[in-house]
Amino acid sequence: MLVTWAYRFRNSLMERIDPRTRWIFSLLFLFSITMYWDMRFLLFFFAVAWLWYAGARVTFKETRRAWLLVTMLLFSMVIVNTILTGGGASGVVQGPGHPVYAVHFTIPVVGWTVNFSLTIERLWFGLCQIVRVWSISAIFIIIPYSMDPRLYGVTFRRLGFPDRFAFSMDLAFRYVPTLARDFAVTLDAQRARGYEIERVEGGLITQARRIAPLIIPVTIGSILSGEDMVNAMDLRCFGLRPRTWIVVTTYKWFDFAIIGFGIFMLIASIILLFYFHIGGFWVPPGIIPG
Amino acid sequence: MNKKLWQFGTREVVFAAIGAALYGVLAWATNFLQIPGAGNVSVRPAVAIPMFFGVVFGPVVGFIAGFLGNIISDLLSGYGFWFWWDLGNGIQGLIPGLIFLTIVNYRDLGSIIRAEIMVVLGVIVGMGIASISDIWVSGMDLLTVWTVDFLPAFITNAFWGLILVPILMVAYSAVQLRSGR
Repeated sequence: MLVTWAYRFRNSLMERIDPRTRWIFSLLFLFSITMYWDMRFLLFFFAVAWLWYAGARVTFKETRRAWLLVTMLLFSMVIVNTILTGGGASGVVQGPGHPVYAVHFTIPVVGWTVNFSLTIERLWFGLCQIVRVWSISAIFIIIPYSMDPRLYGVTFRRLGFPDRFAFSMDLAFRYVPTLARDFAVTLDAQRARGYEIERVEGGLITQARRIAPLIIPVTIGSILSGEDMVNAMDLRCFGLRPRTWIVVTTYKWFDFAIIGFGIFMLIASIILLFYFHIGGFWVPPGIIPG
Repeated sequence: MNKKLWQFGTREVVFAAIGAALYGVLAWATNFLQIPGAGNVSVRPAVAIPMFFGVVFGPVVGFIAGFLGNIISDLLSGYGFWFWWDLGNGIQGLIPGLIFLTIVNYRDLGSIIRAEIMVVLGVIVGMGIASISDIWVSGMDLLTVWTVDFLPAFITNAFWGLILVPILMVAYSAVQLRSGR
């Protein structure tokens, strides 16, 4: 079984940006965009997100699976929660609204009355949800495709996380191929004994019965090898002094510019929302009849 | 050697890394398992790993195994980076770890029951926090978050935790005897 990271070197603009800058900007973007339900502002964030996405030189074909997942969840949420039940729009969309389509009927036998009214406001809110979630997704989906897994440990260390946490992170990434190999060996061994692990029929209990002989040996085996690793590290006095890292991360002028832009975005959003009360849900007057 | 609840020494560093890598690899490798009739909804037996690592090595190890393991799994699958779900998975491992000091014999029925209770509590809090974050990000209401996000995650995660954590605990007791730790 081959484990491959989604990352490969693309010589992109994104790879020239310091990884710390990328995390900082992504989080500043997230906190800024979640203050808005106004499409005019959301479109600005949408443009910024797609510029950011384009900078990674990641093809749509590569990220198709992730987009499919996000879009499927998003559309089921918008259709069921905002358009059909109106639940997601409550609190944001105020008032009865302007109906596009209304239906009222009584269910025979039980006598329940159904009053469904689809309004322009709810449709517009659904559109705002799509733009907002797609923008956030564009920022976060490209991370695995454009950030070298070897950089995670040092990046989080330089972001101020404890040394041991960063080392643990680094170690985990290095363990992945070893554990994948152990998993493959165990899988083959169990197959040789007649286990049909890949059969997807049956309920959860059947799946649990199939999966346990696979998970237990791999887990216990890795704990045993971990004990040896602990001993080896203890013998080398691990943790007595702060670690040094092979990779050196350095901020360049454009890193400061990106972080500055992110901070500006967040502060401007806070001022606009809390001082000027701008950025809440807004419907273009042109689409409201009369 | 005296154990401390929030200890994070060499042993914890190594087992947090192993737990995270195990969770990431096993979650990725068992993607083929799906809930019958619910297309594209994968069940993750590997969620039991951070819970078990929490019970055996403490809350810090459980948290890192869940938090980092979910990041690794998403990196391998190419699903991106979803901080609030990573945090939820971390909490799912942290809460069972809170009884780490009270367990001496991993075969003992009382210890297993205590661990099972903490597993369910961990799933409720972890998946609850992750699900509620969708209200903030996507503008969903509480009812939708409850039905779309929380319930499926709670049912499958609690199921795997309740079944696999006791089996792992019993298997680990043999290793514990061998390693003398």
